[in-house]
Amino acid sequence: MLLSVLQEKEAGGFVVIQDTASYSGRQLLKYYINCAIKSEEIVHVLGFEVPEQEIRKGLDRNYVHLFHFHNAYSDPLGWTKQSSFRVKHFTTPHIIQLVNKTQNAKATILVIDSLSWVLRHHNPAVICQELQKLKRAEGSIRMTFGLLHKDLHQQGIVGSICHLASTVISVAPLDIVDSAVAKTTQRKKSGKVMQEDNFFSIKDDLILSIQNKPSQSGHVKADLDTNEGDPASNLTFNLRLSEAEREAKEKVALPFVFSQEKKSALLRPSQSSGQIMYEPDASDDFDEEDPDDDLDV
Amino acid sequence: DSRIGTENSVSSLIGRNNATSFQKKTRSKLVSIPGTRPSVQNGQLIVSTGVTSLDYVIGGGLAVGTLLLIEEDQSDSYSQMLLRYFLAEGVVCGHELFLASAQDHPENIMQMLPSPILDDNVSTDQGDRPPTPLHLHDPDAMKIAWRYQNLPKFQTTFGSSLFGHCYDLSKPMEQQVRQAAKCHTFYLPEEKTAAKESSHLTGPYAGLLQCIQALIQKEGFDGSSSQCTVRNVLRVCLHSLGSALWGDDLCCSESPTHYHALTTFLYALRALLRSSLSVAMVTVPSHLIQVRVVIMERITKLSDTTLTLESFQGSEKETNPLYKDYHGLLHIRQVPHLNCLLCAIPDTKDLAFKLKRKQFTIEKLHLPPDLSESVSRVSKVELPGCGPTSKHLDF
Repeated sequence: MLLSVLQEKEAGGFVVIQDTASYSGRQLLKYYINCAIKSEEIVHVLGFEVPEQEIRKGLDRNYVHLFHFHNAYSDPLGWTKQSSFRVKHFTTPHIIQLVNKTQNAKATILVIDSLSWVLRHHNPAVICQELQKLKRAEGSIRMTFGLLHKDLHQQGIVGSICHLASTVISVAPLDIVDSAVAKTTQRKKSGKVMQEDNFFSIKDDLILSIQNKPSQSGHVKADLDTNEGDPASNLTFNLRLSEAEREAKEKVALPFVFSQEKKSALLRPSQSSGQIMYEPDASDDFDEEDPDDDLDV
Repeated sequence: DSRIGTENSVSSLIGRNNATSFQKKTRSKLVSIPGTRPSVQNGQLIVSTGVTSLDYVIGGGLAVGTLLLIEEDQSDSYSQMLLRYFLAEGVVCGHELFLASAQDHPENIMQMLPSPILDDNVSTDQGDRPPTPLHLHDPDAMKIAWRYQNLPKFQTTFGSSLFGHCYDLSKPMEQQVRQAAKCHTFYLPEEKTAAKESSHLTGPYAGLLQCIQALIQKEGFDGSSSQCTVRNVLRVCLHSLGSALWGDDLCCSESPTHYHALTTFLYALRALLRSSLSVAMVTVPSHLIQVRVVIMERITKLSDTTLTLESFQGSEKETNPLYKDYHGLLHIRQVPHLNCLLCAIPDTKDLAFKLKRKQFTIEKLHLPPDLSESVSRVSKVELPGCGPTSKHLDF
């Protein structure tokens, strides 16, 4: 699933890559940028956090002309009035205008590096609305990628942003050098949710390799899951029978066990209906003349 | 005997001419609205939510004039499904719809309505099957409780009453059917913020409330205009209220600036619903709300029926074998008390929902040894430690 994120067919996809200080998700983001330009898609990066060179490093040389960087790193707040793109320009019309400057019929991929920076300078509710508008600008933007440092924000903000996303990838470090774990949650438009955990590593030349789960820890985890889940696991009595015990049990003849014929005879619905036989006696004195004889009228 | 005589004469009078003031009790005019019926419990006019099993657990259906609040599941997939069922039922019954959203375009939501199954060829062969003869080597044959062999299987699904319709989730509703219904939409990003801020409300909620208010007045759902003789029900659907997309910071901040915006809106909305022929379904992403306890308590009090959907997706319950047949739990937080002190109390609070390929159902969640068994034993249980009251141990 980690590999197929870019192949998303539904328009207006929004991918959030969540990371923390202990493992950066930018390398994974760069991997997606590289994949996108290699499949000849135009990529626009809104860079707030790192300079252009750092993003460009490692990208495929042959396709670099498809890569566009909008520099808000050197002068994000417009103090020196040098850069054309600033943090306050983070509005849907402005972004669409930027993207449409490169004359191209094909819809592009927008990369926001990072959402955390934008969230610091805008009202989170407004950012959510802008992101929703970007999702709907299907004509010019096919997909939006955003990097989010989740340890910098309140849980509610992270939750709200991820609620909008069609795919959320959370990366976390592993004990093994150079590799990390990615938890991918994908939500289809139909409401179907898919989840997957991958162990991966990315080299400097932006090649992603997905590894099999480290065998030992994976096994232990699976075992734990089944143990915790079984409601009949921690009983104080024995609920199960061994094969020998079962045989012994089946040999015991139970009382009131009928033969097969008798059982089916009893189960068959009887054809004749019952009759009530009643013979009136002296106390059932019924007077035809006065039916209300027994009432105190 | 004199009483019987007068009754006879009255009925003969009515038979001849309608000269008396005595009239046969007939149902009120309201009941003639398609897709509604009076509740068995309190006589309130109710409509179906579109999911028959949900109708059953909330006491027959939604009373007209009330508000159903749904706390969304994490991914909002099941709550959206309920929303679609509610709208589809409105389309099939010919009700008017009002759909407001800030996330997906209402038009897109309408395109995903499930297709109704209108023919009555739904197989109801359960239980009517001829009793299967006992086979000796049948592993499922009952050995001890064999007298129950031919009884129909106990069903965990709820009432298949004739109220409400069935839908096929795998097929979208046909466009002609969909367009026959009168649907009013409100999509926040496309609304002009021309709302007069006359009331205590501000922002998008004020605009939304004014829009609903204007619709109810214009179409005569409040019964004010006497010229429209055909009465109808308005179904109001509000998706994901309180989320950041509504401009509300309940989800983003622990000290929201518009603390009372949502509650004020719901208060006004309920007043509007009570005085008109309308019924509302509101979903709220309660898992995102930061000061959840306080806010949700208030919101619950301001709505009539409150349900919470808890999806197993991503939680540890997903792997629990107890829940393996289900996709999530349904918690009934509140059932309305309408015009009486009593409310419809569901027989069990352990409810789970299941999404099949074509259908969404709500079922009782229980392990095979069911409730009825324990009921019959309660009387026999003796309190331990009360001394040896009987010599024989009763197993």
